Amino acid sequence: MATVVIMPRQGQSVESCVITELNIKKGDTVAAGDTLFSYETDKSSFEEKAATDGTILELFADEGDDVPCLDPVLIIGTPGEDISALIAELNRTQAVDVDTAEIEAPKPAAAAPAPVAASGDKFFRISPRAKNLAAKTDADLAKAQGTGPGGRIIERDINTLLDAGYTLPAEKTDDAAETPQPAVAPIPEAAEFEDIKLTNIRKVIAKSMHASLSDMAQLTLNSSFNATQITAYRAAVKEKSEQLGLPNITLNDMILFAAARTAPNHRSVNAHYLDDTIRYFRHCSLGVAVDTERGLIVPTVFNADTLSLAELSSQAKAIIKEAQSGSINPDLLRGATFTVTNLGSLGVESFTPVINPPQTCILGVNNITYRVKEDGSAYPAMGLSLTFDHRAIDGAPAARFLKELCENLENFSLLLAK
Amino acid sequence: MPKSQYIDPQKVFQPGFLTFDDIAVNQYAKTLEEEKKLYTPQDMLRIYHDMVVIREFETMLNEIKVKSVYNGVEYNNPGPAHLSLGQEASAVGEAYCLDINDITFGSHRSHGEIIAKGLSAIEKLDETELYDIMKEFLDGSILRVVEGKEENKGNIKDIAKNFLLYGALAEIFARTTGFNKGLGGSMHAFFIPFGIYPNNAIVGGSAPCALGAALYKRSNKKKGIVIANFGDGACGRGPVLESMGMSAMDQIKQLWDGGAGLPILFNVFNNFYGMGGQTMGETAGFGMPARLGAGFDRNQMHAESVNGYNPLAVIDAVTRKKQLLLDGKGPALLEVKTYRTTGHSPSDSSSYRTPEEIEAWIDADPIAAYAEKLVRVGIAKAEQLDDIKDSIVRRMTMICKLATDDELSPRMDLNKNPDAISGIMFSNQKVASMETGREPEVLMPKEDNPRVKQIAGKSRFAYDENGKAVPKTKVYALRDGLFEAIIDKFYEDSTLIAYGEDNRDWGGAYAVYRGLTEALPYHRFFNAPISEAAIVGSAVGYAMCGGRVIVELMYADFIGCAGDEIFNQMAKWQAMSAGILKMPIVLRVSVGSKYGAQHSQDWTALTAHIPGLKVVFPATPYDAKGLMNEALAGTDPVVFFESQRIYDIGEQFHEGGVPEGYYEVKMGEPDIKRAGKDITILTIGATLYRGLEAADILEEKYGISAEVIDARSIVPFNYEPVIESVKKTGKIIIVGDACERNSVMKDMAANITEFAFDYLDAPPVALGSRNWITPAFELEKFFFPYPDAIIDAIHEKIVPIAGHVSTHNYSDIEKIERSKNGI
Repeated sequence: MATVVIMPRQGQSVESCVITELNIKKGDTVAAGDTLFSYETDKSSFEEKAATDGTILELFADEGDDVPCLDPVLIIGTPGEDISALIAELNRTQAVDVDTAEIEAPKPAAAAPAPVAASGDKFFRISPRAKNLAAKTDADLAKAQGTGPGGRIIERDINTLLDAGYTLPAEKTDDAAETPQPAVAPIPEAAEFEDIKLTNIRKVIAKSMHASLSDMAQLTLNSSFNATQITAYRAAVKEKSEQLGLPNITLNDMILFAAARTAPNHRSVNAHYLDDTIRYFRHCSLGVAVDTERGLIVPTVFNADTLSLAELSSQAKAIIKEAQSGSINPDLLRGATFTVTNLGSLGVESFTPVINPPQTCILGVNNITYRVKEDGSAYPAMGLSLTFDHRAIDGAPAARFLKELCENLENFSLLLAK
Repeated sequence: MPKSQYIDPQKVFQPGFLTFDDIAVNQYAKTLEEEKKLYTPQDMLRIYHDMVVIREFETMLNEIKVKSVYNGVEYNNPGPAHLSLGQEASAVGEAYCLDINDITFGSHRSHGEIIAKGLSAIEKLDETELYDIMKEFLDGSILRVVEGKEENKGNIKDIAKNFLLYGALAEIFARTTGFNKGLGGSMHAFFIPFGIYPNNAIVGGSAPCALGAALYKRSNKKKGIVIANFGDGACGRGPVLESMGMSAMDQIKQLWDGGAGLPILFNVFNNFYGMGGQTMGETAGFGMPARLGAGFDRNQMHAESVNGYNPLAVIDAVTRKKQLLLDGKGPALLEVKTYRTTGHSPSDSSSYRTPEEIEAWIDADPIAAYAEKLVRVGIAKAEQLDDIKDSIVRRMTMICKLATDDELSPRMDLNKNPDAISGIMFSNQKVASMETGREPEVLMPKEDNPRVKQIAGKSRFAYDENGKAVPKTKVYALRDGLFEAIIDKFYEDSTLIAYGEDNRDWGGAYAVYRGLTEALPYHRFFNAPISEAAIVGSAVGYAMCGGRVIVELMYADFIGCAGDEIFNQMAKWQAMSAGILKMPIVLRVSVGSKYGAQHSQDWTALTAHIPGLKVVFPATPYDAKGLMNEALAGTDPVVFFESQRIYDIGEQFHEGGVPEGYYEVKMGEPDIKRAGKDITILTIGATLYRGLEAADILEEKYGISAEVIDARSIVPFNYEPVIESVKKTGKIIIVGDACERNSVMKDMAANITEFAFDYLDAPPVALGSRNWITPAFELEKFFFPYPDAIIDAIHEKIVPIAGHVSTHNYSDIEKIERSKNGI
């Protein structure tokens, strides 16, 4: 009995995945547990393993193909098995548009008059407002169901898409074709370099970071706080954690905790800048920048300000681990309202972190250096670098946030009591 | 309908005859001896001089027009030139009798009248006055060109003659150094300091304006008489006939203070042709225009017909008419027979008359005949007359050179000053009283007025402290807001007058004016005849003289009856005068309902289309009072739309109700009457309340939050608040009671599409009435936009609403089909 291996859907917001590596070809025999192919979303990568022993009877995709989730990738069966009926069935079901199957039409439109020109009229109707909103939010217009007059895609249809998480995957446009090429440098000997195609993740990071720096008005404030209390607390926890059943709470966890508790008091740092509006959040969902083999990944701890230090520490550890292993649910890679990135462990004393749009801030954590008090004694000073978007926040409010954050970290035991 | 005048059936049905006095025709018969007693030789020569100046001025224009050269001065004049060669004696004869306080209004063929009146004024003004006038006019820009060019150096009268001829010619040639910076042109030139009031390219347009000027003199007790000059062709024009009728209305002598008739002379220069149509024998039945007076006035307007080829006959007649007017026996009508020997314009080949006829009139040339007489009776030698002529030719050549010199006489530079014309379309001034230092004439202290007392007892907000609606009888209504603003201004501005149909006694058809009859003497507040053209046209003349006026047309549908006066007179004179004239007129018009096809139309689009008019349409008592205050404080013409649906509505929006004191609502600012976030409903006039009803339904039934904006003004209009709203909602419907095609709503929809395109979630939808006649009241729901239509249009054109079922068909297919059929 042949089985169809489909492209798994890794999270509700994922539309399609790219096959990064195909380990088999048609006719190969595989054993259960063998890796069939590797694939990645715009933010994570995965491996698909064979569930059964068998032979590859049919292969629908190639390396580099962008395969819509739930679409078949290959068929495993016994050699000589007739799979024509299965293929016919696949053709039939595939004809069922993913759109209609997956996107719930918004309730009001269900009762609205049927879009007159929707069928047979390929003219793409979209209101300027809807188009703008789609561009701003990366909503995937191909999935939009127009509910306006004559089937026009209107604002509410984009909101429906966004609610359902249908945003565009990484751009696959060939930028080289559109952007002028720099003057060609003399080609060095082949042995002197290696060309490696950008991974999707790299492309996404590149696009996002470039857009961040080119679109925003970013600048960075540097400050430091007396880390005596948190280092002492860290030492105490480290000693007693097993005994008390606590996770291993790190300095970074404490900074995450303080940031999550402080940000909601300064609404403009816990916000999204959306062109003509600013969306302020009641709770702080923390983006935690994680260095992985595939590149920077920023998973989210949702509503971090409602968690205890121990809860936050556990959750952060879990998502960091998932991010590093590449198995993270893509749904956890969005929705952050404030991000913390830590280069302190690498000895960095000060830097200018780059904001993850549409957020308005990112906090960089530096290493501990020693500074001298007036009385000549030394104290451990930990540096913080806050980059903010001046379009959304002015300098003074940003500085006030940073000041309160430092005070909270200096008086960490008081913060814990709050 | 004054109660003091009893219409007695016994008397009405008594048998009898109407009798008429004989109308004098060419009865001038003064002997030379008599004339010598009346005129010095200098007077006689001056008459000759003035006629020759006109003749030479127009000869010059004709040469320029036909040959593009005059005495070696080459110039091409593409503009109009309606010449009056042959009519010089008529113009000079009239002007001879006039003082500086006497003012004239003329026609498209008025170069001769301008020059004659100007020369007469120069003769009568002393040199200091004259020089001051020239120095102050347009900051001396005309004087600077001509000063020093006079033959008798430093001779003020000589400078003044050059000033007059140059100012007129530069105006004809569209130069910024013309009397109206070249914006009036040949057919509209005028110069108020010499008593030369606007000339009008609309045939007969001078008559209603002159009527208004006479009302100004009568109501404000100003010196002098007013003359409306027009041709025999204009006697076919309704506004002329209306003006003659209104000028003769009985109340002026029977009911107004003092009983003096209007000081106005309707002066017909009968040259026998209205362009090519021959009034005597072809296009009219009166034979001689002098006959008309008997139809309008018990005194036959003292009409007579005189020989316009004899300047002394004209002087004799005008002198007598002027005296009648000064004695309070106006109005008067004079027919001055004359002839133009050139065509209507240079393109006229005189296909409607024979060469023999023209020859016969040239043979009778008034200037040649007069010159011959001067020589014959020994007042002047032929050489002396030739010298006069030569000096005039030299003067005219010099003037022609100056006026065609692009350096000295530049045209308006719209590259350098692209807003030069924009800047004079409105005067945008605030003048509390048009004449300070004179107490307004009133009949009682304002606080004793019965209406004022009645309003004092009313609730100035529509709801009581418990939020309960105050009954209609006790609420301060929109009509009270209008009344308060108007009566306040009557007690502040002594020049303010108001009139229209059924204003006095009745208090206006919708009771806005109730209480004014008690407050004001007749000459400030009266009933006009049913003569809309004369009503509006006279308001224009009243404003030209410096007065402020409110005229009312009862129904907006009657705008058509005063079309020219609203569209061409009221709208244009501020700009055509280069900002010299102000036009503080409020024209009240009321949009009806329940009254069928000719009494229920919102014609905002017609008035908004014409540049130069401000157009407002308030829908709440607060806005009505505030906008009326603003309109009455301003110096621009305002067409003030009101709706008969809501005269009794109370103030529902302004916190604390309508203020008792003075305040203004800035024209042009739309007002958010209810905030919302999902869709914008922009309403015009009374549709505000239907928009709010629709918003209620959208909110309660469908959970859609509508922002309702009241346009309040149409011209000017600030789109910014609307755009801000659209940025928020992305959706807008514009609602008004006017028929949809080419409506203000359509115009706004087009503009909003341009201004807010990137924010729109659907094209702005204009919702007006159907492009039909207004049907009977019982069928009006199929015609006017009601809340169900508003919601249907939103549902079908902007955002389909779950669970809503339309009863109207607003589909594109339907609308395209209707358009194909002209519907």
